[in-house]
Amino acid sequence: MDNQEKLFRLNVTRRHFLTKAGLGIGSAALGTMLFKDQLFGTSEASNIPLGVAQFAPKAKRIIYLFQNGAPSQLETFDYKPLLNKMHGEELPASIRKGQRLTGMTSNQESFPLVGSTFGFAQHGQSGAWVSELFPHMASIVDEMCIVKSMHTEAINHDPALTFFQTGAQQGNRPSMGAWMSYGLGSENANLPAFTVLLSRGRGNGQGVYSKLWTNGFLDSVHQGVVFSSGEDPVLYLKNPEGHDKESRRAMLDELAQFNSAAFENFGDPEINTRIQQYEMSYRMQSAVPELTDLSKESDNTIKLYGPDCLVPGTYAANCLLARKLSESGVRFVQLYHQGWDTHGNLASDMRMQAEDVDRASAGLIKDLKQRGLLDETLVIWGGEFGRTNYCQGKIDTENYGRDHHPKCFSIWMAGGGIKPGTVYGETDEFGYNITKDPVSVNDFHATVLHLMGINHEQLTYKHLGRRYRLTDVAGNLVKGIIS
Amino acid sequence: MISMNKHTSVISNLLVVLQILLLFCSFVEPDSFPNWLTLTGRLHPLLLHLPVSLVLLNIPVYFLTVAKNQSENNSPLYQTLLAYTALLATLTAFAGLFLASGGEYDEQLLFKHKWLSIGVAILSHLQLYLFQWIGNNRKIWTAITSSTAILMIAGSHYGGTLTHGEDFLTFSVEEKQMSQFPPISDKSTVFDAAVAPIIATKCSSCHNASKQKGGLNMTDFNNMFKGGKTGALFVAGNPNKSLLIERILLAMDDKKHMPPKGKAQLTPDEMMLFTKWIEKGGSNTSLYHSLEENDSLKIITDKVRVIERITESIKTYSFKAASPDVIESLNSPFRRILPISANSPALSVKFFLKEKFNMKMLEECNSIKQQVVEINLSGMPVDDQVIPLLTQFENLEKLNLNSTQVTGKNLKEMIKLKHLNQLSLTGTAVDATFLNELTASNIKTVYLWNTKIKEQDLVVLKKSLPNVKWDLGYIPDKNEMLKLTPPKPTNTDQMIIGRNEAITLKHPLPGVTIKYTLDGSIPDSINGTVYTSPILSTQITRIIAIATRDGWISSTTSDYTFFQQGIKVDSIHLIHQPNEKYKKNGKTTLTDLKKGFPEILNLNWLGYKEQTFKTGFYFTDETMKTTVVLSAADNTGAYVFPPTKITVWGGDQPKNLKKIGSVQPAMPTAYRSNGVLPYLVPIEKGKYKYIEIEAQNILSLPSWHGGKGEKGWVFVDEVFFY
Repeated sequence: MDNQEKLFRLNVTRRHFLTKAGLGIGSAALGTMLFKDQLFGTSEASNIPLGVAQFAPKAKRIIYLFQNGAPSQLETFDYKPLLNKMHGEELPASIRKGQRLTGMTSNQESFPLVGSTFGFAQHGQSGAWVSELFPHMASIVDEMCIVKSMHTEAINHDPALTFFQTGAQQGNRPSMGAWMSYGLGSENANLPAFTVLLSRGRGNGQGVYSKLWTNGFLDSVHQGVVFSSGEDPVLYLKNPEGHDKESRRAMLDELAQFNSAAFENFGDPEINTRIQQYEMSYRMQSAVPELTDLSKESDNTIKLYGPDCLVPGTYAANCLLARKLSESGVRFVQLYHQGWDTHGNLASDMRMQAEDVDRASAGLIKDLKQRGLLDETLVIWGGEFGRTNYCQGKIDTENYGRDHHPKCFSIWMAGGGIKPGTVYGETDEFGYNITKDPVSVNDFHATVLHLMGINHEQLTYKHLGRRYRLTDVAGNLVKGIIS
Repeated sequence: MISMNKHTSVISNLLVVLQILLLFCSFVEPDSFPNWLTLTGRLHPLLLHLPVSLVLLNIPVYFLTVAKNQSENNSPLYQTLLAYTALLATLTAFAGLFLASGGEYDEQLLFKHKWLSIGVAILSHLQLYLFQWIGNNRKIWTAITSSTAILMIAGSHYGGTLTHGEDFLTFSVEEKQMSQFPPISDKSTVFDAAVAPIIATKCSSCHNASKQKGGLNMTDFNNMFKGGKTGALFVAGNPNKSLLIERILLAMDDKKHMPPKGKAQLTPDEMMLFTKWIEKGGSNTSLYHSLEENDSLKIITDKVRVIERITESIKTYSFKAASPDVIESLNSPFRRILPISANSPALSVKFFLKEKFNMKMLEECNSIKQQVVEINLSGMPVDDQVIPLLTQFENLEKLNLNSTQVTGKNLKEMIKLKHLNQLSLTGTAVDATFLNELTASNIKTVYLWNTKIKEQDLVVLKKSLPNVKWDLGYIPDKNEMLKLTPPKPTNTDQMIIGRNEAITLKHPLPGVTIKYTLDGSIPDSINGTVYTSPILSTQITRIIAIATRDGWISSTTSDYTFFQQGIKVDSIHLIHQPNEKYKKNGKTTLTDLKKGFPEILNLNWLGYKEQTFKTGFYFTDETMKTTVVLSAADNTGAYVFPPTKITVWGGDQPKNLKKIGSVQPAMPTAYRSNGVLPYLVPIEKGKYKYIEIEAQNILSLPSWHGGKGEKGWVFVDEVFFY
């Protein structure tokens, strides 16, 4: 303890001392001017200014509508009439090319192709194909950029989801939202910069875990804060019974004095962080009720998102809350909607899932647009991988299932910096392989960071002896989707 | 007079001749120099550094020699130095004259450079003479040395400007290398959008008005069109015959390759752009927006401009950045001032928490009024008085007044904001007549969703302000009927309520009518009671409710069963143990007042399959008991069925019991939706201190079930006694 205290009082380690004082003030100053990085190396912090966009951003905030469980591209945006023609026929080996299978279909004797039971039509100026399941999303295709050529490395939910959220499959890296919070800081100091909203559809579901919104090795202030679906979206935010605002204020002031004294004595910067967190929570006591009060929403808003938006914990309610959070300066609002894992019973499950998300997803875009916020908000809609073009389990024209497929799937983006009304990338007639403009998960991350005004190669954090990025050692900007 | 050594005097005499010649040459027309002389002009950049250093070197040498030895005023070293300074200055001036005869330089700049430099040559010669004639006189020395130095510095500055361009000193190297593409507007030509910015970055540092290498000035289209000494720069429509393309495509080692070796080169895309631009007419009038989507010129223009985006251009502003201290002092959790991006002087201001807001917070931003380009006051308690305050932000581009009390009375003043292009007024009481007064403004988009402005108001507005986009946002389709969500009781957490507790129903949408029944029938337009006040509960209260509202489709029914808290159980004895997997908290599960969910069977449930549910309950008080209620799960898909038979025994102790009641619940006849169902067993009235209950699980699943013939489960989460 004694030793530790001395160390903190100095607040320098041997390395700090050598780096900072070793060469003398003069040469250090010269060195900083001439070749900063070569002389000292960059510290654990990034080599770009933090808390502000590196260059003029296209988007200031992100709302990520994650469709957890992986919606089928073949029943959403990737129209493949050939599959209907070849319904029941075997998937040609020339198409599969020995692609690995999950444990769920690897024992299957045959792989009969299965066409979508839902009709498709072209919509908008862009003429993008959208399934009949999504009439509302179809009405906004001219705002969207549909990327049909996403691909991923993982074939199972957890690694795929973790890869999408953190840039690595293993799950010890900071989540996208945490990187944004770290790189761009908070716009509204009265709310967390990264919030998470969960909802569950009626389809076959897959879990979500807090590791998906982890701060990883970044400071814990960058961790995603889950807003719960109950009466109190943020738990333990209300004052305990019998305590009013004034007494709370007085208590915090007193506590801050103690903490400041401890900081002066001990020098641990975490103490200051703690003081600030208390202060933010205090301000959240005013900020959160302002946001979550839905009683003043107009009838038009309710019709826009659908009547579900008034029922806490539904996807629609989360979309509406996401808009309010984003409008209030929350950098990254992450939604997860579970229930897209259609191994069987696809026809009815997809229908139920689509009912849950279609109106509200489109409503969110329209709402942002009519408030003049769409140009500064990036909205992303999509799952963690695609689904196979062949049937899992019993094939039936009415009902069928699709297994996991990492080699191609569709997502869409809209808003800040996205080229509206475009369809990017192509897949083959079987909807199995990408034939044009593939987009990897790393490319996706690089592009999202770019839209937020950050060069993905420069937002780094040094950890365990090397610098990490969201895209780590990969990722190319997808220029074709940027406006 | 100080004696002069022979060497110095030879140079001095030579200088008299040379300098007279120099003055003569300076007035001569440059063109009249013979060619071989202009070649020697190329030595100018080499020579010029020598007199520059020598003029400065004179100073320390004077102090080290002449000034140090007052007695010996005759200093050969100092004199020699003065002589060489004058000689080299003169030779440099000659070379400069010959170089200038090439005629590629800005005349004004050249004039200043020429005469200042000739002045240096003459003054340094004069210095030598004065030293010889008068000797060491500190006053004279100071005067003449300093004027020589000043002339030299001024002269070399203009020389540098001639060679390196005017912005050489003030701009950093990095900034110079970046092409700044202007934003594309309807009036953008391809030339302005892509060609000119590349030329500005990579060509015009040598081909500009002040430095016209090869007689070529590329700073604007007309000068480019004129071409240079070698001829026209390009032949419209024919890139193959265009000098521009030829020079670009020459091998790097070729002397005529452009840009010269060592300077920033054109990328392949940029070369392609130049080629396509010339091929398609090479004009400065063809509009970017008139190009077809698949026009090769459009594709390459986009490509070049996108690549520019990756080099991360910053929108440039003419105003200076505010001091970080000022920004810092204004920043608070309730007023956030953020730069648009690093290195950008532009700021955005956003206010948070309406209870913390006051007008002063906006007034204080006066100190950054030049830099603010975005203000967001959405949701803040501001009214029309805010408008005059806002007009001081002269560079404001984006203003968000959503959900404020602004009515638009003095919106007219916004005309002062010449850069304002986006105005958000959704959710305000803004009036169409006030919007009409915005005519002279440059606003491009006005957001008016959720205001009283209607389509018919827009007709007028569109006429008077045709360039503005009026966004009314989402207007619900009048014919579209949406389905209400079902009503919900407020106390649905456990479904267990206190003895005299009433049940409250609510619906989140205002104006909804809730109808309900308590007898298990389905409420509809005829059947059911309209909910007005909380419903009194009985032992088991099953509420089926529906929400209706004009213009909406009635909700599906919601079906909730509430259990009233019963007589307190003292202790429980599990006679039959539940299945290992489904015994959650053991016997306390049955009276913990926590209901289970029929899908989550490992929580709050006791599950039985191998043997029946058989449990004894002890009571300390002797209250009269009339009813037993067993709460059991119903999840046919998971083989969880109602008990086939429930039997109840009662007495004062386990050894002395009699059967006091039994029921045989109805079995499902097909798969049905999951639920938690109450099984009510009326018992012989009595003050039993011990009651034993047995619930038989189904022993053979019916034939319609996937597991027909197998044993089913019984799951119990709670038991109540009344």
